[in-house]
Amino acid sequence: MIERLAASRCHVCGLVAAPPARWCPRHPVEMTRTSVIGAGEVVSFTTLHSPPEGFRSPLHIALVELSGGARFVCHGAETRGLRIGSRVAIEAVDNVYYFSHLGAIDRARLFWSRAGRAGERLSAIARSVAKRGWKGRSRGEG
Amino acid sequence: MHDVWIAGADMTRIGRLREPLGDLMAVAAHTALRRANRERPDSIVVATMNPEEFLGDGNFASNVATHMGFAEIPSIRVETATSSGAAAFYAGFAQIAAGLAHTVVVVGGEKMTHLPTPKVSELIGRSIDPYERSYGTTMPAFAGLVTRALMSRHGVSELEIAQVAVKNHANGARNPLAHFRDEITVDVVLGSRMVADPLRLFHCCPISDGAAAVVLTSDRTSVRVAGIGQGTDVLALRHRDALTSFRATQAAASAAFAMAGFGPSRVDVAEIHDAFAPFELISLEDTGLFPPGKAASATLDGETALDGRLPVNPSGGLKARGHPLAATALAQLVECVWQLTGYAPKRQVACSVALAQSIGGPGTNNWVTLLEAR
Repeated sequence: MIERLAASRCHVCGLVAAPPARWCPRHPVEMTRTSVIGAGEVVSFTTLHSPPEGFRSPLHIALVELSGGARFVCHGAETRGLRIGSRVAIEAVDNVYYFSHLGAIDRARLFWSRAGRAGERLSAIARSVAKRGWKGRSRGEG
Repeated sequence: MHDVWIAGADMTRIGRLREPLGDLMAVAAHTALRRANRERPDSIVVATMNPEEFLGDGNFASNVATHMGFAEIPSIRVETATSSGAAAFYAGFAQIAAGLAHTVVVVGGEKMTHLPTPKVSELIGRSIDPYERSYGTTMPAFAGLVTRALMSRHGVSELEIAQVAVKNHANGARNPLAHFRDEITVDVVLGSRMVADPLRLFHCCPISDGAAAVVLTSDRTSVRVAGIGQGTDVLALRHRDALTSFRATQAAASAAFAMAGFGPSRVDVAEIHDAFAPFELISLEDTGLFPPGKAASATLDGETALDGRLPVNPSGGLKARGHPLAATALAQLVECVWQLTGYAPKRQVACSVALAQSIGGPGTNNWVTLLEAR
């Protein structure tokens, strides 16, 4: 299931910003609200081995070019097998976006990589599994 | 516009220093004034990136003027993140070019080695877009993203990137004021720990303390400021088209060369902002000193070494001389002045035009300055 992400578009240069911004960074005009598909191609990625306070090591960060045109910064659970140009899906958990090109187990693991109390992580995983189950059912019914 | 000349330049040793920042900056400014044969300037321009957070001190224009014993001379502070020294130099240049002052001392400094590394990283990282920072993006993370794209899309090799650090350490070993004075090998670079994959520890500049100063004047001297250019870009990495070149450096170089009235082929020596080794390769192409795609192989072939066609970072660069933030761009200009006036023993190159390039934040406020021996 691919999510849609809130974004904004500049009517002068066509720049799409995700998350949405009020002003275009390149033109002094107000942007209009839109949304983009939460999937795209990896532009680059890195792994921080001494991340800043509040993040667990290793911290995977990717820059993804979304299909709607916007570039997007997000986290990931794993970079094994990841290449520049890899297709990934973007998914939000507790308002934090993760890329994922791997299976369900890796999806579960990625929530552990975000700093936080164990209870919060468990409930995030539970919410994600429940969301998937619900989405799967609704897709089945539709 | 009046011509602007450099009357004197000096700097402190770079490294882990004990003295208070105000004293370091006062020492650099006074020794530069002594070299310039000037007793007092008409005006002081101060560059510090973030003494509020590093030291808990603010109002730094007055702080430095007071430390210098020049509390009654007008003093201002200029800030553009890690390129603040170049921006301050521009402010001093503008005062003289406009005829507002006859002699200006520009002094930059930073002190941060007393803080733990993660804290320093976090403070420097505040120059990054807040949203991207909320995902843990630091300056090394930004450089890691750039480096992977450079290697993958442009075929730049690990060996070529490592050679930048090896070359700059070799130069730093000849500079008595450098933070690191030891030569290293490619194996040391490639064997160092991973910081922001594919960037390793020895691809990154150190955290340093230090101060540097330049005295500008409207009187004719042996070094003229031929051109200065500023270039800017959006704060967020995700809103840029290019990841492996910096628009801000390209714009700065084009403005500086336009002011100077000559092109990159006239440059004999360059001080480049190698906060991360691959940035030297990118910057050499952004400034037009090398054609696109040529800087990496040229570095491996020794073209940018002290005895090469275009020596780059004879001081050791940010990698070996060190990177005391707001002092750095002025330390680059001090090296350029010393090279142009034959005051760079053990690392002296034959030159009449020198270029200094400085990157502010994640490539959002960059400067190119051209100095010419006359």
